[in-house]
Amino acid sequence: MMAESGPSTSAVSTSKAEQDALRAATFQRLHPKVYLERFLAENLRPDGRELDDWREVSVNVGSISSADGSALVRMGDTTVVCGVKAEIAEPELDSPEEGFLVPNLDLPAICHPRFKPGPPTEEAQVLSDRLNEVLITSGAISTKSLCIEPGRAVWVLYVDATCINYDGNAFDATLLAMMAALKNTRLPKATFESETGRTVCSRKTKIPLQVNRLPVSMSFGIFDSTHVLADPTSFEEPLLDTTLSIAVDENGGLVSVTQLGLGVVGKEDVLPHCISAARKRCSGVIGLLANIS
Amino acid sequence: MRTDGRKASELREISIVYERLDRVDGSARFGFGETKSLASVSGPIEVRANLELPSQATLDIHIRPLASISGTDSKALSATLKGILSPALLLSHHPRTLVQIVGQALCGTDSGSGMGSVGRGWSANLIASLVNASSAALISASSVPMRGIVCAVAVGRLPSESALKLVLDPSEAEMPRLSGGGCFAFLFSVVLSSASSSTQEVPPCSLLWTNYTTNTPFDEAELKRARELAEGGAREVWKILKESISTMDASHASTIQKTRAEPEAMEEVPSHAEDSDDAKMEI
Repeated sequence: MMAESGPSTSAVSTSKAEQDALRAATFQRLHPKVYLERFLAENLRPDGRELDDWREVSVNVGSISSADGSALVRMGDTTVVCGVKAEIAEPELDSPEEGFLVPNLDLPAICHPRFKPGPPTEEAQVLSDRLNEVLITSGAISTKSLCIEPGRAVWVLYVDATCINYDGNAFDATLLAMMAALKNTRLPKATFESETGRTVCSRKTKIPLQVNRLPVSMSFGIFDSTHVLADPTSFEEPLLDTTLSIAVDENGGLVSVTQLGLGVVGKEDVLPHCISAARKRCSGVIGLLANIS
Repeated sequence: MRTDGRKASELREISIVYERLDRVDGSARFGFGETKSLASVSGPIEVRANLELPSQATLDIHIRPLASISGTDSKALSATLKGILSPALLLSHHPRTLVQIVGQALCGTDSGSGMGSVGRGWSANLIASLVNASSAALISASSVPMRGIVCAVAVGRLPSESALKLVLDPSEAEMPRLSGGGCFAFLFSVVLSSASSSTQEVPPCSLLWTNYTTNTPFDEAELKRARELAEGGAREVWKILKESISTMDASHASTIQKTRAEPEAMEEVPSHAEDSDDAKMEI
């Protein structure tokens, strides 16, 4: 890296700043762990946040007119689009009054260089499974409310989320996008005609989907068994030994707690601290959802 | 009162069988009552170039349900099991090799957990049996150095009008009535600090994985109680695993079954005398 002798002094000092930036970026690529350690020693993270700071969240609904419900969520740079499509199907024989909720997350090649084109990567499948677990078990949407005619016709809601920019913490962003899209969903009024055996949907009358609970998730990571980082970015994620996700509903009650890895910093168990941090944060995020109709 | 007459903190009868499958380095079957899984371990073995890691062994886990092909939930469980076993194994001792673990469910995975979508896949007690089967298979292989042993149990939450009822190791019959639950996996290792209450015989343990989820809100107190209940159950599993080691060197597969009614007596079914020289193993 040769210093360029420009015609004026300001050109020289700009290129010095550029050189420093290039050196820092090279160091980040070659020694990511040490790079992060240096920031944590100053109680800061590479993007300037404090250890327990969250990125800014914004939610936009109803942008996809062809879907029954849609939402776009930005959590820092992580951007997830979610659409809800409703179809009609026959229910299972042993649960004739229950509809279906089919959530899915796609991490295509556009969102990050580590995802290659092709079938869904393991990460997408793992996240889809975790989202399914939280949405179904929490009872956010009662599957009985999706029944049109017991034993003959029920609604199937396909909740498809696509990440268009991945900067870590896709789980939190996607759960928020799915809940926002579901809150935005309006289903046509459906009546089952037993003479013809078909379901007729009204073009005019639309009923909002009944959402019972609003689970919102907060994820944390433990770096090197010493520091707890809230809302990890895609740079920090591969360096974490442990991840914790806490899902809270609109009343502050816990919906689900997942921990993968040893959750001990020093001699202390960090799970209670993370749960209280999640509770403090959740009211702000749920406020964003509450305004959606 | 539970349907099978157990107390809230009582496990079902545990069965451990060291299968001694020929083509792999270690294998074991673990069951909580009828909820059983089989795990096999091969490693350290040759690794494909695209999976090779320069400073540690690659851990490759495959999970198969009893019926049909592995779907998304089996894939997710493989990723979870990898996250659980990586801190427990000393993978840096064998760089550029492969440790391959295959888990097979031996009972149906669509056990009707009763909470929402059809064919929910792996229930908490089946996951617990799989984690324990993997630990037993790793011990049986004795080829991968381990930092500690991972033991897991499932905890279920029964809805009740008066107080919350948490039960250990819910059976298949109890699963549809649960309003929540999850699996807790603990790492038992002498290198962990003895902050948690550890007795002379059982090393200290630390929570390694949980997926506790409910369909009505819960609070930290319930999570703490669930965890303590699970920790007690995991200690029992550890003790039974340790006792089963003595049957491992028998020249044929033998079963150790521990009934809760007789905690002191041990039932073994070997037909010849076992080798006694390295019957006990330091864990």
